Amino acid sequence: MTEDLQRQIAVLTAFHKGLANIARHDADTVVSGTLPFEASADGLETITESFEIELTVPDAFPESLPRVRETGGRIGNDYEHHNASGTLCLAVPVEQRRIFLENPTLLGFVNRLVIPYLYGYCFWKKHGRHPFDEAAHGYEGILRHYLDTLGLADEAKALAVICYLFEHGYRGHHDCPCGSGLRVRACHGPALMILHRTHNQQTVRSDFVAIFEHCFAKFQDGQLSFPTPLRLQILRLFNRL
Amino acid sequence: MTIDIRKYSAFLEQVAGEIDIQPGKYQDAVNRYRAVGRWLEEGSYPGCTGKLSIYPQGSFRLGTVVRPIRDGIEACYDIDLVCEMPLRKDRTTAQSVKSMVGDRLRENATYKRLLDPEGRRCWTLEYAEQDGVGFHLDVLPAVLDGSGLLSTAIAITNKVGSAYSWSASDPRGYGAWFDSRNKFAFDRVQLEQKQKLQRGAPLVFASIDTVPDQLVRTPLQRAIQLMKRHRDLRFDYQERIEYAPISIIITTLAAHLYGNELDEYSALSGIVRKLQGHAALVENRAIEGCLATLGLIQRRPDGKWYIGNPVNPAENFADRWHEDNHARARAFFAWVVALQKDLLNILEETNPRLVEEHLGRVLGTAAVTRHLDILVLPAPMIDTPPRIHITGAAKPWREG
Repeated sequence: MTEDLQRQIAVLTAFHKGLANIARHDADTVVSGTLPFEASADGLETITESFEIELTVPDAFPESLPRVRETGGRIGNDYEHHNASGTLCLAVPVEQRRIFLENPTLLGFVNRLVIPYLYGYCFWKKHGRHPFDEAAHGYEGILRHYLDTLGLADEAKALAVICYLFEHGYRGHHDCPCGSGLRVRACHGPALMILHRTHNQQTVRSDFVAIFEHCFAKFQDGQLSFPTPLRLQILRLFNRL
Repeated sequence: MTIDIRKYSAFLEQVAGEIDIQPGKYQDAVNRYRAVGRWLEEGSYPGCTGKLSIYPQGSFRLGTVVRPIRDGIEACYDIDLVCEMPLRKDRTTAQSVKSMVGDRLRENATYKRLLDPEGRRCWTLEYAEQDGVGFHLDVLPAVLDGSGLLSTAIAITNKVGSAYSWSASDPRGYGAWFDSRNKFAFDRVQLEQKQKLQRGAPLVFASIDTVPDQLVRTPLQRAIQLMKRHRDLRFDYQERIEYAPISIIITTLAAHLYGNELDEYSALSGIVRKLQGHAALVENRAIEGCLATLGLIQRRPDGKWYIGNPVNPAENFADRWHEDNHARARAFFAWVVALQKDLLNILEETNPRLVEEHLGRVLGTAAVTRHLDILVLPAPMIDTPPRIHITGAAKPWREG
C-alpha cells in the first residue's frame, strides 16, 4: 500500500467513521464497514440510511478505481445495477472517472459516487423510479453515453469518436469525428477535450473495444454501415490492441 | 457560506501536510544522507584529526520543507547537509576543504555518477525520482570557525570564478534558536501528531516512539510552509523571481512573530498582521512602538535595510533590499498584503466554487482540491451520519 493511499484511507475513515476495517488482499486494500449517510439532492427528498459496504482499492489506484460491494444483502437481484460478481455499477466507466477526477480521492469517490448510488437505490426502492435516470446495460450503455454527451444520434458516430480519441487523443485541428465537416475545436472540441482528459490508456482502449463490439454486431446484421475511412481507421487501431 | 475558523485551520493543516515532505520520503532522505555521511567519515583527509560530522541545515532541519514548484510543475526537494571537517580554519584553505570532500565523493562509483559539476558552495548529489519525487542532496563542506559568535559557528566555502573564500554561517545555532521559538507549541502537539503519523504510515513507523521529532509540525512550521508555497506560486516567473522573499527571511520573521497560537489560522493571521505592521517602512514612515522596539525589520538612515540573523547580528539577511529602488522590500510588503487577502480574508467568501478557485491558485490546485471537502461539507458529528448534498450524480449502469 502506498503512503498516499494510507493517508487517503485515514482521511476517508476520519469522515466515515464506520468504515473501520482495513485489510490487505493480494494487490488490493479492502476497506469495509458501515456507511451511514444523510443525503439530499436538488428538488428531491432527504434520505437517511446506512449500508454495509466493502471498497476494494487496487494498488494501481487512482489509475484504476475501487470496486464496491454492498455486503449487508440489502440490494437484491430486483435492482439491476450490479454485476454478477456483486460489485455495484456506479456508472459507465468513463463517466465514473470523470466524476472521480473532480475530487480524486477515496473520500471524493465515496461521497460523489457511492453515496449518490445508494441514495438512488433507496429512492428507486421507495418510488419505483430512478432519481438520476439510469444507463443502458453493457456496451450499449457505454455507447449511449458518448452519444448523449456529444448530442449525437447515429451510433456509427460514437464509433468515430472513440476511434478519434483512441488514435490521437485530442487534436483540435482535425476534422470533427461527428462528421460536421468542421474542425474539432470549432465543433465538439470542449466535450472531446473532457473525454480525452478523463481517459487513460486502459479506459480509452476498453471503450473502443466496447463500442466497436456493439457496432460490429449491428454492422453484421446490416443495421449499420461504416464509411471507408472509418473502416481503415478501425483496422489501424486493431493492430494496436 | 462563510468559513468556520476551526474547519479552515484543519484545512490549512492538511494542505500544508500535502506540500510537506512525506514521512516515507523523509526517512528515505535521512537514510541516504547518513550513508553519504558514513562514506565521508570513513575517508582519510590530510591534516584531519578527529571526527567529521554531517548534519542537515535549512528547511529540512527546521521542519519547514515545501515541495518546490518550478514553472508550475512540482520539482525535487532540496536537502542541505553540512559536512563539517575536523580542521582549523586558519590551518587550511577553503579550496582544499572543498576539494577534499569532492574527491572523497568521487571515490565512490555511485556518488560519482550522481554528482553534479562543482557548485558555488556545495557538492550536489542528484537522487533520481522514485514514485515521482526526487531530491538533491547539497553537501556543504565546512570547518568550525573558532572566531564565530557562538561555539557552533562554522565557516563554509565560497567559490566565485576560480577564487575560493570563506563565509560565516551557523546552522546549528540557528536551528537551536528556531527550536526555542517553537518549543511551547512542539510540546503541546507532539504526542497527538506522532500518533497520527504512526497510524497513517504503520509500515514506516512500528510504534510512536519511532516517529522522529523532525516530522512533528507546529502551527509555526505549518504557517511557514504555507507562506513559502504562496511565495513560490506568486513569484513563479522570470521577471519577479529575483525579488521573491527568501526563505530565511520568511522563517526568521515568522519565528520571531509567532505568538504560540495553537491553531493554524490564528498562527498565520498573527504573523501576517504583525508583518503588515511593518509596511509603513517602505514609505519611510515610523511603525508602531512595540514593533519598532523589536527591531526585526529596520530601515537605516543610509536607506539600507536590516533583518539580522538571530544568532549572528553581523549577518544581514536584507542586505540587498535597497537595490533597484527597494525592489525586494516592495515585493516583500506587497506579498504580505497578498497573504492577508489570499489566505485570511478568504474566510469571508461565500461561494464554494470561488473558494476552491482562489485557494487553488495561491496554494496549488492539487493540494487544495484534495482537502476541499473539509471546508465545504459540514463536519460529521458523533452519532449523526455525514450529510451529503448530491449534485451531478452518475446514472447507474451494468456491465453485461
